[in-house]
Amino acid sequence: MSYIELKNVSYRYPLAETDALKNINYAFEEGKLYGIIGENGGGKTTFCDLIKGLIPSFYGGDLTGEVFIKGKEIREWESSALASTIGYIFQNPFTQISGIKETVFEEIALGLENLGVEREEIIDRVTSVVRQLKIEHLIKNNPNKLSGGQRQRVAFASIIAMETDILVIDEPTSQLDPKGTSDIFEIIHLLKEQGKTILLVEHKIDLIAEYADEVLVIKQGELITNGKTSDVFSNVNLLNEGVNIPQIALLSNDMKEQGKPFDTFAITRSQAREQILKKGSEKICH
Amino acid sequence: MMDETFINSYRSPQLSKNWLLNLNPLNKINIYIALGLITLFFQHWQVNVVITLVFILLAVAAGRFKSFISPFLKLGLVIGPFFFIVRAIFWPGENMIFNYGIINITQEGIDLGIQYATIMLVVCGILVLCTVTIKAEDLTYSLEKIGVPHNISFMILSSLQLIIDLKDKTNVIMDSQRSRGIETEGNVFVRIKAFVPVLSPLFLGAISGAEEKTIAMDARAFSSANPNTHLRFLRPTPALEKILVILVDILILGLIILGVVL
Ligand SMILES: Nc1ncnc2c1ncn2[C@@H]1O[C@H](COP(=O)(O)OP(=O)(O)OP(=O)(O)O)[C@@H](O)[C@H]1O
Ligand SMILES: [Mg+2]
Repeated sequence: MSYIELKNVSYRYPLAETDALKNINYAFEEGKLYGIIGENGGGKTTFCDLIKGLIPSFYGGDLTGEVFIKGKEIREWESSALASTIGYIFQNPFTQISGIKETVFEEIALGLENLGVEREEIIDRVTSVVRQLKIEHLIKNNPNKLSGGQRQRVAFASIIAMETDILVIDEPTSQLDPKGTSDIFEIIHLLKEQGKTILLVEHKIDLIAEYADEVLVIKQGELITNGKTSDVFSNVNLLNEGVNIPQIALLSNDMKEQGKPFDTFAITRSQAREQILKKGSEKICH
Repeated sequence: MMDETFINSYRSPQLSKNWLLNLNPLNKINIYIALGLITLFFQHWQVNVVITLVFILLAVAAGRFKSFISPFLKLGLVIGPFFFIVRAIFWPGENMIFNYGIINITQEGIDLGIQYATIMLVVCGILVLCTVTIKAEDLTYSLEKIGVPHNISFMILSSLQLIIDLKDKTNVIMDSQRSRGIETEGNVFVRIKAFVPVLSPLFLGAISGAEEKTIAMDARAFSSANPNTHLRFLRPTPALEKILVILVDILILGLIILGVVL
């Protein structure tokens, strides 16, 4: 049984003239990290909202087809049960702060309070995510007075503290500097190691190449390509679809066109380095 | 470095050094309102003034005089005179002092105006004192403890936050107006003229923000069926505090009975 499964899913926002999602079929497996990419306005956020159960209950509109989460149709899930199964970190960090807490520490604790976790455990869990996200210096601050990047980290911390099995993460690094971005990706990697199933929307293509097990490309509401990350990025025609491709993948492709392909198509720097070192040593041996 | 002392502060009631601030929020409100009730039974403006003074003294006792006095004066000096004028000008009475068209000032009107204006001072005193001596979250927590549903307390908290948000945003917009050379300081009319164009973006922003906030709260399991817990620690009300509140209530009840009898 698939963990999350979409069958012939189409969706149209209220009053919209075209479908925001068009006949999507896909099965997500447990414990994998899925990268969702595609041009602006393609429907990535809509896709996330769908999985999180906000469509159609919150936005209205017409949803056809079926979405199964852990085998149960999404319309049959209680929204509270869904909240403790799927964590959603969304694109705009400014609206993710509850606005009712006086310290960052309490802000991160809010979800746990709602889930009814006991105080000692709340303190332990919040303390540990604060460490993971390296925001020790922020815990006493007023969450309503943070910078965009700080908010993004606090929002992230607030959701991972809830320890849901599935995480839907929509552009978590849009407000972050390079250091912040690599910190967040380190954590996403760690979460995957812990067995979480992760759906990640991200424009920074090199990071997707490095961390995602599989990639989905969404364009104008359609799932135009999907598959193993290395397979998807070895198709340079994607450039014509408005999708960025990692520089390393382009390099691998150049090598192929030059008649000197790598043994396996490299899409990340470390893979390329390995291949180049290997080729180098082969030359010396000959 | 993780601030362990700060984290440990959540393991016991978060008390301040001030006894008044440490009272249970509902007990504070009880005392303030009971004091306020006295005015309704005495109907003497002198009594109202005395009670207003008591509120000021309470603010001093709580170590919150500075944050109390400015909003109190701002609010009191607008609302008080307003009630005075409305009552003084339009109230019919025997002892005419001045009459011109619908304006009809009588001694009874003026007396009543003073009475109303000073009651309004008392009301403003209660409101401002609540805001400067009670943490919103402690209030809603203690309300939840006596059985008020979680979503009502959330509504209270988020509307309070909305007011703060709107105020912050107004300041930002007003600043940008000023930097574009639009007059924002000066008399009431100048201020209103500067303020009106700001209103619609402000409220539109607040409404669309509210939609996303609903999603954000949903993501934090707000609708969870489990009874929710609290990170903050509200201290169980000490016996002494209970006695104090009961004494104050009895005393005030006595005063009120006295007032009615007199
Ligand atoms: N609440 C809404 N009501 C109506 N239409 C919407 C709504 N939200 C998004 N859309 C439309 O649906 C389409 C997909 O939008 P979506 O936000 O899912 O794109 P996206 O892939 O997340 O884009 P980006 O990379 O900019 O975040 C767009 O054409 C957009 O205009
Ligand atoms: Mg988006």
